[in-house]
Amino acid sequence: MYSLILLNGGIGARIGANEPKQLLKLRGIPILVYSLVMANRVEKIDQIVLNYPPEWKEGVEEVLRDYAISTPVTLVEAGDSRHSSVAAMLPHCTNDDVIIHEAARPLVTKRNFEDLIASEHSNVSLMTPISFTVAPVDPETHEVTGSLERDQLRNVQLPQKFSKADLQDAHAKAEQDHKVYTEDATLVAVTGHSVHFIEGSDVNFKVTTPTDLRMAGFLLRPEEEDDD
Amino acid sequence: MTKTALVTGASRGIGLETTRRFLHNSEDITTVVMFARKSDDFDAAVEELRSSSPVGRKIITRYVDVGDRDSLHEALESVHGEVGNIDILVNNAGYTNPVPLQQAEIEDFEKTMSVNVYAPFLIVKQLLNHGNEFKLIVNIASTAGINGRSGWLTYSASKAAVINMSQVMREELAIYGTRVVCLSPGRTATALRRTLAPEEDPSTIMQPEHVARVIETFASPVGRFIDSENIVVRQ
Repeated sequence: MYSLILLNGGIGARIGANEPKQLLKLRGIPILVYSLVMANRVEKIDQIVLNYPPEWKEGVEEVLRDYAISTPVTLVEAGDSRHSSVAAMLPHCTNDDVIIHEAARPLVTKRNFEDLIASEHSNVSLMTPISFTVAPVDPETHEVTGSLERDQLRNVQLPQKFSKADLQDAHAKAEQDHKVYTEDATLVAVTGHSVHFIEGSDVNFKVTTPTDLRMAGFLLRPEEEDDD
Repeated sequence: MTKTALVTGASRGIGLETTRRFLHNSEDITTVVMFARKSDDFDAAVEELRSSSPVGRKIITRYVDVGDRDSLHEALESVHGEVGNIDILVNNAGYTNPVPLQQAEIEDFEKTMSVNVYAPFLIVKQLLNHGNEFKLIVNIASTAGINGRSGWLTYSASKAAVINMSQVMREELAIYGTRVVCLSPGRTATALRRTLAPEEDPSTIMQPEHVARVIETFASPVGRFIDSENIVVRQ
């Protein structure tokens, strides 16, 4: 069985909101609900560890109650960064295997979770090919410093699954080295544990800007609106 | 997989005929919960259905006025405890007291809204709050909700609200894969129609079983191919 670490702590500064973006409405429904409802349907997830922005515990509890999330939920106050939030949520996970997802990816599907769980490997991330070129640069001088092979790069998505022991080990080493990572697949890989990827989905994008919010709303429309 | 259906206003008319068709013809609906106010008609209908339904079909009844919030809440709690998930909900119960605007009483308008609009909302909300996952919700509106009719202000307004509420339910419940259908029958030979048009010969208009057949189709395997925000059935 799996514990789901559901990251929900970010304040939507880039989205221009006065409340946490996870409580922002997407087609009239708090964004957080989309991931919760999908995770709630995955039989192999029997615990959700959910963090909340300081002062928004009540709002999150209300969502859990109103949407009748039946999977047991452990609430943890959000840390200063995504990295520190994961580190703080990990000890609350009761299973040996964990899945990490973020509420800001509301278009995740039950199938995404199940594909991840079905993978034979312990540490796996959804990733998608990159359809554009990424250039290494010197941000100070604005000089391009080389070239990267696009085939060797992937867009890292969530959800991801990890052996709890490997993830804890990676976080312990990062703390020891005073390093902060923006996501966990590369963190665990850099620490020396094997991490694999499976194909993600281009619709499972992170809602970060007002444009993203509109795009997500568009993709969630009933299908007949696309009919002739 | 077997399914459970809940039909409100099940003692007569469209509600009773829908219950009958679910019990007699559906391949997978094995339990039907009937909500209606206590009446001899209801008792007789239940007795008749129990004696005529195929073996293995279960009928559960509750005497409930869906316009009474407390008794509706209580009935839903007890039914949820007894049968668990409601897969198919037919919000059929309706009320009208057609009078001209100048004579309409606010209390009667409120009663109309309570039965026709608030009850379907409360049923869906209360069950969702319990974690119920509906496969299909059928809200019975009316063609009078599409075009207001002189003398039917409260009824027309309430049914317009049902049509709009169904659109919202349809969008919000899409995350559960729930289909929400709004059905607007035209003139149908029901008790409510007799109140609206007492001078009309009921044998000349659409019968409740005709509408029930349409609802049965929504609940059948081909029902998922029928998709519209408001389906009008009329003779």
